[in-house]
Amino acid sequence: MKKKQKKIKDINQSSFYFEDYLETNKKNKSLKKTDSLQDRIYLLFFFFLSLILIFSIKIAHLSLSTSPTFNQKLSSSKFALIRRDIVDRNGILISRNINTSHAAVFPKLVKNKKNFLIKLRLNFPELSINEIEKKLNSNKYFYLKKRIDQSEKERFWALGEKGIKFEFFQARMYTHGNLFNHDVVGQVDYDNYGISGVEKYFDKELKDKKILRKPLKLTLDTNIQYIISEELNKAITTFRATGGGALLMDVNTGDILSLVSLPNFNINKRLVIKDKQYTNKITKGVYELGSIFKTFTIALALENDLVTPETIIKNIPRSLRCSIHKISDMKEHPKNLSVEEILVRSSNVGSVILAKKIGEEKFKEFIKNTRLLKNPELEIEEVGTPHKIKWNKCKLETVSFGHGITTTPVQAASVYSTMVNGGKLIKPSLIEGRERLEAKNLISPNTSKKINGILRKVVSSENGTAYFADKNGYYVGGKTGTAEGYGNKKNRVNTFISVFPTNKPKYTLLVMLENPQINKDLIYDYRGVKTKAPYNTSGWNSVYAAGQIIEKIGPILAINNKEFTNQYVAEKFNN
Amino acid sequence: MFKSKIIISTIVFLFFLIITSIIKNQTRIIEKKIYKLNELTNLKEKDINESQLDFHFLTSPAEIEKKIKMLGQNNYLPIKNSKIFLSLSNYTNIQKNISVINNLYEEKAKKN
Repeated sequence: MKKKQKKIKDINQSSFYFEDYLETNKKNKSLKKTDSLQDRIYLLFFFFLSLILIFSIKIAHLSLSTSPTFNQKLSSSKFALIRRDIVDRNGILISRNINTSHAAVFPKLVKNKKNFLIKLRLNFPELSINEIEKKLNSNKYFYLKKRIDQSEKERFWALGEKGIKFEFFQARMYTHGNLFNHDVVGQVDYDNYGISGVEKYFDKELKDKKILRKPLKLTLDTNIQYIISEELNKAITTFRATGGGALLMDVNTGDILSLVSLPNFNINKRLVIKDKQYTNKITKGVYELGSIFKTFTIALALENDLVTPETIIKNIPRSLRCSIHKISDMKEHPKNLSVEEILVRSSNVGSVILAKKIGEEKFKEFIKNTRLLKNPELEIEEVGTPHKIKWNKCKLETVSFGHGITTTPVQAASVYSTMVNGGKLIKPSLIEGRERLEAKNLISPNTSKKINGILRKVVSSENGTAYFADKNGYYVGGKTGTAEGYGNKKNRVNTFISVFPTNKPKYTLLVMLENPQINKDLIYDYRGVKTKAPYNTSGWNSVYAAGQIIEKIGPILAINNKEFTNQYVAEKFNN
Repeated sequence: MFKSKIIISTIVFLFFLIITSIIKNQTRIIEKKIYKLNELTNLKEKDINESQLDFHFLTSPAEIEKKIKMLGQNNYLPIKNSKIFLSLSNYTNIQKNISVINNLYEEKAKKN
């Protein structure tokens, strides 16, 4: 198109001019030169502009970004948290991850293997040298010792062996050693996976990167846990028991403030334990808790308006026969007893009479509503399964005083909390801020109030079985339970479930001793009389231990003990 | 015209060359500073972490009880308010009052 136009122009051209060919050529050449120079300058200009832009972007990125720079990855001091802390209800640290290391060996880098083994034998006599020798000869990378502390690390360093390598890893540290049980707080493995207790149950939540800085708050109270643990330990020693357990629960919320099961071990160490004594007695142990169940029988009779606490049950026989079983009382009681006296004196026969009045169907329904025979709903996997019961002949009679029926202590304590908190069913919990109240009421507030009064009398009245828990100003109420082991009559379980203060219940404390013995050297102050224990019943050991615990934890729990503060002050004396 | 273009371009080139190197150096300095600060933060964080752990261990009830047993011999026991006397005269006055009341009770008992 352009060519055609040019041709047309040439045809129509009327004039022409001469130009200096050489000059024009020069001009063109210089023009071409300047063009290419300019292009180069533009290119350089563009190049530097892009560099400036790149660095400006980088500066902006560095100043705006919160993510770590590449250098940080190489930093040796870096502590990248991989598991959340666990704290108690007061924010006291229970477990935290710390940087530590494994001592490993590169066999190929060990020049003098014999010399190395001698050095190891001298400095670390606890290590199995034969095994290390085998591993050294196999020439494969292996661990000498896992999770070493600083002093061990320095000792390994001092060996001056090139082949030793320290492999960084994060270890879980439990600040209170054996204070919390291995299946309550739990433990983690070397890869930081929870293997028991809360650590296992909340494994995902504890590793959630979005909330790594936010600790998991438990309902447990370290100080109270310590006091209860100490007192329970003392009781186990005093009464030569094989083990014991204690549980402190808030009756209104279900918060577990303390959960102790003894014997236990330091959870900072990973041990293989086959001894059943180390299982969590409170949540996993399944027991026939004995007379503890009489409270439920009385509550059910009151709830159905069959009796009042003052109703007199006349002509209570000394013993009853049911099929081949003989049901009798440990002590001789008056023939006529009021309903509250049946509980205060812990009469088996009286309970059977009341249970018969209630009837099997209502009793069955009540036991079902309490969920005593189901697995406890708690935030740990270490929970026991109560034995199933068949409601055959005599079952109602035996269950009415707590025989032939098993449950876990944590369930028994939560039903007691329900009994005294106005009848509201609660779920026990180890984690703060969880919904535990259920819409359903087990008993009416009125029945609950009556039960409170009767439980107080079990402790305070002359015929009550729990005198040693009657601590000045704390209005303690409760019920004792002495039972043989389920399926093993050689075992004995003495339990006391207390509630305090009964005028406005706040806490349930369960104390349980396994196979306690009478302590012949212990002199009790029983209603002003110095005496030794006449029976091996819970009233003479578990109640005693519970009394000691309440006396110490009462002030910490800030129970308004006017009786005590009006009469007493602290006296300081030096030994 | 041409010369001025070259001069301007050279100036611009030199200007950008200097600016780029300055910016690049500044970036490096900033990055180093950030790295150092991060190192410091990490160390502090580690220190805090370990100090907190130490604190919680050393203030655990078991450790405190150990320390109390080791350092202090002071024991505290509850005492009734009625057994506290501010001075000897306070004590004698209270004792006098108690004996007067006791005498009155005894006299009443004798009369009955």
